[in-house]
Amino acid sequence: MLDAMMKTKLFAWVDRRLGLESIIKSQLTEYPAPKNLNWMWVFGAIAMTVLVLQIVTGIFLAMYYKPSAMLTEGGFSLAFDSVERIMRDVNFGWLIRYTHAVGASMFFLVVYIHMGRGMYYGSYKEPRELIWIIGVVILLIMQGAAFFGYLLPWGQMSFWGATVITNLFGAIPVLGDLIGQLLMGGFSVGDPTLNRFFSLHYLLPLLLVAIVGGHIHALHTVHSNNPDGIDLDQSDPKNIVTFHPYVTMKDAFAVSAFMILYMYIVFFNPQMGGYFIEVDNYMPANSLQTPAHIVPVWYLTPWYTILRSFEDKLLGIVAMGASLAILFVYPFLDRSKVRSARYRPMYRGMLILFFIDVIVLGYCGHSEPTATLKVVGQIATFYYFLFFIALPFLPKVEKTKPLPEGV
Amino acid sequence: MKFNTILLSLAAVLMMLTSQVALASGGSSVALKHANIDVTDREQLLRGLIVFTDICMGCHSAKYVTFKGLMDYPELGISREMADELRGEKPLMSGLITDLSPEDATESYGKVPPDLSLIVPGRRGGADYVYSLLTGYAHDPEGKVPEGNYNLYFPGHSTAMPDPLGWLDHEPEDEAEIIQQANDVTAFLAFISDPHQNERRTMGKYVIGFLILLTLVLFLLKKEIWKDVH
Repeated sequence: MLDAMMKTKLFAWVDRRLGLESIIKSQLTEYPAPKNLNWMWVFGAIAMTVLVLQIVTGIFLAMYYKPSAMLTEGGFSLAFDSVERIMRDVNFGWLIRYTHAVGASMFFLVVYIHMGRGMYYGSYKEPRELIWIIGVVILLIMQGAAFFGYLLPWGQMSFWGATVITNLFGAIPVLGDLIGQLLMGGFSVGDPTLNRFFSLHYLLPLLLVAIVGGHIHALHTVHSNNPDGIDLDQSDPKNIVTFHPYVTMKDAFAVSAFMILYMYIVFFNPQMGGYFIEVDNYMPANSLQTPAHIVPVWYLTPWYTILRSFEDKLLGIVAMGASLAILFVYPFLDRSKVRSARYRPMYRGMLILFFIDVIVLGYCGHSEPTATLKVVGQIATFYYFLFFIALPFLPKVEKTKPLPEGV
Repeated sequence: MKFNTILLSLAAVLMMLTSQVALASGGSSVALKHANIDVTDREQLLRGLIVFTDICMGCHSAKYVTFKGLMDYPELGISREMADELRGEKPLMSGLITDLSPEDATESYGKVPPDLSLIVPGRRGGADYVYSLLTGYAHDPEGKVPEGNYNLYFPGHSTAMPDPLGWLDHEPEDEAEIIQQANDVTAFLAFISDPHQNERRTMGKYVIGFLILLTLVLFLLKKEIWKDVH
């Protein structure tokens, strides 16, 4: 069908002016993908799908949403009222909003798995360092977008979550107060905060699209890694399949399977027991009443634990910043010549423990703080950094297994 | 090999620590009673509506539910006559707003009663919590909280809401009726918190069914396309 299309006069007209055929060939029908990619390689395509869904649903939500903290009857606000109007009166508004709200959690879930795959098979290593680094930028922008978006319903957790996070900036020496005030548009979270967060929440995902473009461009320059982490001659047909139709079909199947889970949550359990939409956010923002415990949504809790692990507020912020910043230098900290954890027994053990560690960090950040949990969180924080700091020394002690010749 | 054993045992210790903590923190709250509700049961929802308008609406509003909505939601579908009777002087598009002014409420109870439109998802425990609260009035074992304000399930036990269904010191023969009223109004509140929930669940079955079929077709197609790759 593609060939037939390429022969039409219209296509030829466009092709001569846009070079479509060469793009289709180089990026799809002749773009090589290692044929031994396993199912862990489908999460990039799934993440793209969720991003598109978030943008499409977001555009429709913005048609009805009102970013105003102006009080309405019963202690609610125009913003809260407009969200409830979407849920109750707008045709299929509930579907669009639940898809968007659940989509935020699904996006992080998929991206975390996608990152975990990169870490396990060494996809961040030479020559793919920039793919990883651009990916970390994507993660940071996602976290920002999610944080800004969470304020918009103007519920209790929206308000208090934003208050806690913006107050953090106050602990930064010299510039702290200024940054806090710039973010909030005043001296506390209020109507101006809501307006600028809405603006930024709309801006960041559009930036994200451009940066995802860079992520994919970098990938298509150096081509995909593979589960063995070996250099493959990707011009040799016995090592590869073409992206289309092989990988596109595999991704289509994976996206469809993922949609079963996603839509199951949207239709049958959209609050996910308070993990995806928190209980406190069904109450309108009230600056005079602090919720019993202020918790960020699950995908931010690992970093929240790192923040809370230090008595000193500034130290906590520095640690949280460092825990994200260290991801940028991860490709350079790891000095092993072997990429895949399949052939790196010590790295494999450390990495699996790291994954467990991040889950423990997330758990600690989501629970009410207790003395024991605090210690657990501190141990987990310690290991989080230890993992990265140990990497440069690992090749000195690690005996890697022999690599296979080909696929 | 040995290195991995150390790591694994470290992981096990971390996991055990966390689960211990989980058990310890989970045991502190009172176990809730189970609400016997069915948000698709029109009879129960209509009985709950009456409890709501007769009792709750004395102090509470549900501003996101309009009288018109009570007519339009297929689960309720009340008649125009009934809507007119319920709304009195209020317009049809008005929310279920109490006649008690915030000032009078503050004077009588010390605070403004919360809007009940989103009370079920807005409380930990959801419908079970609302039902438990309504049937949770008791005498304060320490005698500190005034009679009628002590509730087993309210955080801190001292609620500003006076026993709405008359649970405290009720006659044994009234118990079944109060339990029914509590369940009915809980069902109504659960329904209005998300009035499209039944539509959502019904539609969800078709959506998931379609996606399973689509996934199956795509799986077969993937298999067919990949069959020559070894």
